[in-house]
Amino acid sequence: MIEKNTIIKNETGLHARPAMEVVKEASKFKSDVFLIKNGNSYNAKSIVSIMSAGCIKGDEITIKASGEDENEAVISLVDLIENHIS
Amino acid sequence: MFNIFKKNKNEEDNVVEVKSPFIGKCFEVKDIPDEVFASNMMGEGVGFSSKDGILYSPLEGEIIQVFPTKHAVVMRSVEGLEILLHIGIDTVEMKGEGFEAFVNSGAKVKAGDKLISFDLNLINEKAKSNLSPMVITNKEIIEHIEFNYGEVDTNSVIARVKIKK
Repeated sequence: MIEKNTIIKNETGLHARPAMEVVKEASKFKSDVFLIKNGNSYNAKSIVSIMSAGCIKGDEITIKASGEDENEAVISLVDLIENHIS
Repeated sequence: MFNIFKKNKNEEDNVVEVKSPFIGKCFEVKDIPDEVFASNMMGEGVGFSSKDGILYSPLEGEIIQVFPTKHAVVMRSVEGLEILLHIGIDTVEMKGEGFEAFVNSGAKVKAGDKLISFDLNLINEKAKSNLSPMVITNKEIIEHIEFNYGEVDTNSVIARVKIKK
């Protein structure tokens, strides 16, 4: 199991479009992938779950993955959130 | 047209009728002016235009989340359908201006309950579009879905969803 912390940087937070990008990316991996905010765990492969996290700019979150490609999953998702979200 | 939904009890048991969440027009999701929604990547989608600036619940269920900017609502119906209701396109940029929420996360709702009111003129002015997609995001539980397009009000059945047993 691997975890990495990051911060939501984009102005509009994880609204529908970026939530979809997170789900699309997380779904590429075999591992279970979660976004953790305020101690609550959200399934990163479910659009409804990610949107219900209601992440806004400045939120500190943790990406957690568990499985054979957990390293790649965490690195990839953190990179997406930090650098490629509009 | 709907001969797949035979009028015998066994076939109809797990068919959910989804009401229109808007009063106005219902159309194919590919006509929503946003690639993410139009491509139907997120699930089974359908598009709406609204006449009265109100988002109504399409089903009985629970509100999972009203997005902080109040332009989107996520809910789960009593039958287990997970639904994203998104008012306008790029309306997140309005940061809640012109939106009023009548429900909070955790609220139990019935079909036809008011969820959000929104200022159509303001959306026309400040956002990309006032056309609104609705997406059923857990399509893995859907065996078959059929949409009805055209003029709608909150009594109109805009989709019939057969849920996998």
